[in-house]
Amino acid sequence: MKDPKIEVNFEKRKELEEILGADQVSYCYQCGACVGDCPSARFYEGFNPREIMLKSLIGDIDDLIQTDGIIWKCSNCYNCYERCPQDVRPVEVIIALKNLASQNETSPKEILEVTKRIRETGYSVPLVSSTNRMREELGIPPIKKIDTFELDEILKPDNEAEKK
Amino acid sequence: MDAGRHPNITLLTYSEVEDVSGYVGNFKVTVRKKATYVDPELCTACGECEKVCPQIAPDEYQQGLSSRKAIYIEYPQAVPSTYLIDMETCLGNNPIACGKCQEVCDKDCIDFDMPDKLVELEVGAIIVATGMGVYDPTEIAEYGYGKYENVITSMEFERLICAGGPTEGHFVRPGDKQRPKKIGFIQCVGSRSKKYGSEYCSNICCMNTVKDTLLLRDHYPDTENYVFYMDIRAFGKGFEDMYMRSKAEGVKYIRGIPGEILPVNGNGDLKIEVENTLTGQLENYELDMIVLSVGVKPQDDSPTIRKLLTLSKTADGFMMEAHPKLKPVDAPTRGVFFAGCVESPKDIKDSVTQAGAAAAHAQILLNAGKVKIEAITSKIDLDTCTKCGQCADVCPYGAIKWTKGEFPELIEAACAGCGSCGAECKFDSITMRHFSDHQLLAQVDSILEEDPMKKLLTFACNWCSYAGGDFAGISRLQYPVHSRLIRTMCSARVQEDFVLHAFEKGAPMVLVSGCHFADCHYINANRQTVRRVLKMWDKLDKLKIRPERLQMEWISAAEGQKFASVMRKLDEKRMDVTQDEVDYTIEALKADKLKGAARKAAMAELKSPRPPEPVTSPPSTNGESVFQCMSCGHTFTGHYEPKEELVEWSCPLGECKSNSIRVHRKKAGK
Repeated sequence: MKDPKIEVNFEKRKELEEILGADQVSYCYQCGACVGDCPSARFYEGFNPREIMLKSLIGDIDDLIQTDGIIWKCSNCYNCYERCPQDVRPVEVIIALKNLASQNETSPKEILEVTKRIRETGYSVPLVSSTNRMREELGIPPIKKIDTFELDEILKPDNEAEKK
Repeated sequence: MDAGRHPNITLLTYSEVEDVSGYVGNFKVTVRKKATYVDPELCTACGECEKVCPQIAPDEYQQGLSSRKAIYIEYPQAVPSTYLIDMETCLGNNPIACGKCQEVCDKDCIDFDMPDKLVELEVGAIIVATGMGVYDPTEIAEYGYGKYENVITSMEFERLICAGGPTEGHFVRPGDKQRPKKIGFIQCVGSRSKKYGSEYCSNICCMNTVKDTLLLRDHYPDTENYVFYMDIRAFGKGFEDMYMRSKAEGVKYIRGIPGEILPVNGNGDLKIEVENTLTGQLENYELDMIVLSVGVKPQDDSPTIRKLLTLSKTADGFMMEAHPKLKPVDAPTRGVFFAGCVESPKDIKDSVTQAGAAAAHAQILLNAGKVKIEAITSKIDLDTCTKCGQCADVCPYGAIKWTKGEFPELIEAACAGCGSCGAECKFDSITMRHFSDHQLLAQVDSILEEDPMKKLLTFACNWCSYAGGDFAGISRLQYPVHSRLIRTMCSARVQEDFVLHAFEKGAPMVLVSGCHFADCHYINANRQTVRRVLKMWDKLDKLKIRPERLQMEWISAAEGQKFASVMRKLDEKRMDVTQDEVDYTIEALKADKLKGAARKAAMAELKSPRPPEPVTSPPSTNGESVFQCMSCGHTFTGHYEPKEELVEWSCPLGECKSNSIRVHRKKAGK
């Protein structure tokens, strides 16, 4: 059984609150309005935005930001944003946690594949030949490959840090 | 009904207060008694007129759940017991378009030509008991109020279950008039929310719902009742007991706020999904009817009352009491008292208690025959007065009466002592007792006598900023030892020559500090402070003195932390001020005091070692004014119109949030 004593980790919480989007988390009064309409809570055992807010408030976020963390089940539907009476914006706190995971290099590999694809091609979805064939059939213009030089410029500091 | 019969009480019903003038002990109130078009002395409330009236309107008393006629009585126990005609709904009286009611009236008491009556009253004290309004949950799209027939408010619930209600107490769903078997109550609708309604707790809704559940269990023992809540606030006498009884009756209390209300079964039934936060389980409920426990809010005509009686409101919109703990029924305006929900949401017991207190306080005032006021009032010296009337303009209480060409007349009983008139008078004709120019300037001199470069001179208002400083001290918050406070009753007491005198005596920094806009003890006197500080910044700029050496902040009595951090920021700025700058400032201000050619010569000689930096403003779209934060330097655009009522400004940068905002008015033609 886990140690029943709960110790609040204020540093972790402050670290999280400094990320844009998570600054309102301390207003949460655990009413649960975010859970009522959450599609992920309905279908995924263990996903509960209110609980994620509670864990964020006590700084117990290590498990959340692992590669198998539950936060990746969030569908970004923004229902919780609409329902929350305290403007806590649970979805944005979860996005902040995802950013923390990325900083920590514990994002799931599927996410890393997507971000890699965006950097390399500018698209999040793979460009395959069948896509343009179908577009031609439907009479819409093809998707072109784009020059990612602007993206490279913006991401230069990150890219150089990675190379090191 | 007792009030209607009492020999010492005159009831003016169906009336509006149109004007209030005067001061404590001597109020003149004009009341418009609106025409009822039925003579209350003759009407027996027999109801024959109602039967023949062809016009209908939603019945406000029944929350719009049923209709009434154009000629109606609100409820059977109305005092006086008379019908009245709602002229908006009636087919018309000029000329008489219908007249059926008049035809059947036995007592001949319907008079279509009845005029409104104006009643003039002379009263010594006024008690405001105008009550509160109720939140309309239509804007909460996810609850579907107004869309789904069987989603009702707690007010509508009361009418449905009341024997005098539209269904004569048969509790049925509005949709299909069937008896609901499963009823859910959702708490905190329009309360405790940053998004919908108000942020405060409405006090009464928890216990109201508990009572409603007991009513349902009493009358309809076969119903299943669910209450979805965030907290159950059962704080009063007998409240917890009632809550436990409700639970014992089998009412289910689920801690969790539902998401959307959705229709199900195609017959008006409703379903919700809610997390029971105490078990962490998601639960689904199918209900026949949902009652939204709506919160309360100040009455819509609250601004009118406030204007009539020169009253302030607290941040929640309800009336501001003279002191939240020690004077809960007195208004800051002498002679006015509060009773009931007009001051804050409360239940019947507390309203009655407060009413007794207000009556007692009014009685004390009237019995005494004379009123003792604090000697902190204004005095106008008519010998030097130029009759400009500016003092009358800035008095928040209208205590100075002035007509063009006449001397101003100060009504001392109405004077609250804010000092705004004293600060406004350019001819030094007004003395503020106990806070005279002489006394305040002496404090400035004394503070800057030794080591002026080390002093943070602060003008702090008595009710908020000075108390905030006190609170910082009691809370043992650390802030620089260089702060020196000069207490004034209101920040509006601070006039230009105090600040300039301080700079002339070598002050590196000056801070003017007062209450937040919503909380000014003297209604809105701190707006004058802003006007004056804006002018002072312009003046310092013209003299090539860095205007950021003058700062303005709103610090409330509870904001000890803000006081400490403001002092720290001020000290940082102080350490950046050079002796050269200060020496130049003294010269420049001395030169400014000269007249004519001497002044011109002296000004030409001046050379500022550190002139103010020009303002780099962001591009202004559609002629908006440029705002500059004097604390961090950030500039932004926004709306400013000199004649409009000011709003509280603060720096939009999260790390700054300073109230030291200077506005550069848009130049004509740009």
